[in-house]
Amino acid sequence: MSKNRGRSKIKKNRCFVAFRAFSCELDEKHDRHENIVKLSRDITIESKRIIFLLHSINTDIDSKKLSVLEEAGKRLQTLCDNNFKTIAKELIGHDPYLYHRAFTSGMQEFIEALCFFQYIKNNHLESWNAVNINFQYNDEEATQFQLLFSQYDFIMGIADFTGELMRKCINSLGGGNINDCFQLCNFVRAINTGFLGLIYSGNRELSRKAYVLRQSLNKMELVCYNIQIRGSEIPKDMLLNVIESQDIDSDVDEGFSM
Amino acid sequence: MAYCNKVITDIFSPFQEHINAEQDVRDEIRTIMKDIERSLREIVISLQVIHSEIDCEKIHNSILKSRELFEEIRKGYDALDKIIPAGQYYRYNDHWRYTTQRLCFLASLIVFIEKGTLIDRTTTEQILGVHKKDNIHLDLEDYLMGLLNLASELSRFAINSVILGDYSRPLQISKFVAELNAGFRLLNLKNDSLRKRFDVLKYDVKKIEEVVYDLSIRGLTGAGQSQEAVTKTAE
Repeated sequence: MSKNRGRSKIKKNRCFVAFRAFSCELDEKHDRHENIVKLSRDITIESKRIIFLLHSINTDIDSKKLSVLEEAGKRLQTLCDNNFKTIAKELIGHDPYLYHRAFTSGMQEFIEALCFFQYIKNNHLESWNAVNINFQYNDEEATQFQLLFSQYDFIMGIADFTGELMRKCINSLGGGNINDCFQLCNFVRAINTGFLGLIYSGNRELSRKAYVLRQSLNKMELVCYNIQIRGSEIPKDMLLNVIESQDIDSDVDEGFSM
Repeated sequence: MAYCNKVITDIFSPFQEHINAEQDVRDEIRTIMKDIERSLREIVISLQVIHSEIDCEKIHNSILKSRELFEEIRKGYDALDKIIPAGQYYRYNDHWRYTTQRLCFLASLIVFIEKGTLIDRTTTEQILGVHKKDNIHLDLEDYLMGLLNLASELSRFAINSVILGDYSRPLQISKFVAELNAGFRLLNLKNDSLRKRFDVLKYDVKKIEEVVYDLSIRGLTGAGQSQEAVTKTAE
């Protein structure tokens, strides 16, 4: 009997020891996940600030435009070189897809800011390959590592970016830059065409973004329509009020106030 | 219009290619999983015998059959290992996570019936055929999920053992699940699916304890009968 009890104790200890090890393993995973979530949140905040900064560009004054662009460019580069690099370092030796959910929102927000910057600066967007180069890193010991830059994050970042263009379009109208409105509208239309041509099955996130994109586009087209049809009737700065009053049922404004 | 073409060729066409390539891999995985799931269902059916038979021979046969069916499953995981690109296990993980959890449960049930012990992680990996593979492995969470499923199955097994007149089995199960419960209490679970599944464990423990209570209050856990059964299971 006593022999039996001794054996069961050993068995119990084995179970105990195994679960101790599991506990450590799970904790380590959770900690890393939490850590990356925190890093990603910082990136989101900084990206939002950069977007806000880019909105402040008044296209009439060239020198101001240049200085804002320079600052935004620097800050975007800092995000790549520091914040994203920290995440990439954290993920060395681990399957990045396991932690992808932890930093996907920061990545999308960053792409939104980057696209906005590229659009204002060069009037066009860089391809995934060109952007991906930013996420290749070299260590002091010349070991190479990289951050997972999901194609989905890229496309969804672009979808979010059209929301910024919609705001910019309305801002431009307020500022009287009517040409900009048409140009912005055309650009978003091109992106919408791209989304319409995609065949993706079952990605709910992507279809939701495509829906919001269409809402933004509708709003911009309404702006352009009003400029075209009433442009000669009332002063330009009044046009905004006309559009605002027509557009009561639109709820895609995300708390944006004029 | 020039814009439009440029945006599409620069951005959307490469993205479409990317989705298409991914879709192809997913289709291949789905085909393999269909085979694995077929064998899984056969094992599930075969192991149901434990709830309705007390004849050691029959139970033994069903275990043997299940072990054979696991051979098919190992082939499936082998094929999976060849398809998954290196370091992308978690990209496609959704396709096999649930199935793997079920298989962990079945493997643990087999080991419990054979030896009465808790299956360890390496053994589980070996039975499933994911041991020391290049691109696939056994996720700790999936293994733990399997163990939680085992506890639920054992609570049913305890009741059915009583129906079949095996009064020693519930005692063995009760001890086993108590140890398992103690083990799980060591883990700091996040508010995720594993945590939710773990919350069910206490009900399983309770159910088994009730069976043991019913037996002991009627003096059915007495030496003579249970001793015999214990030696039987030990063999």
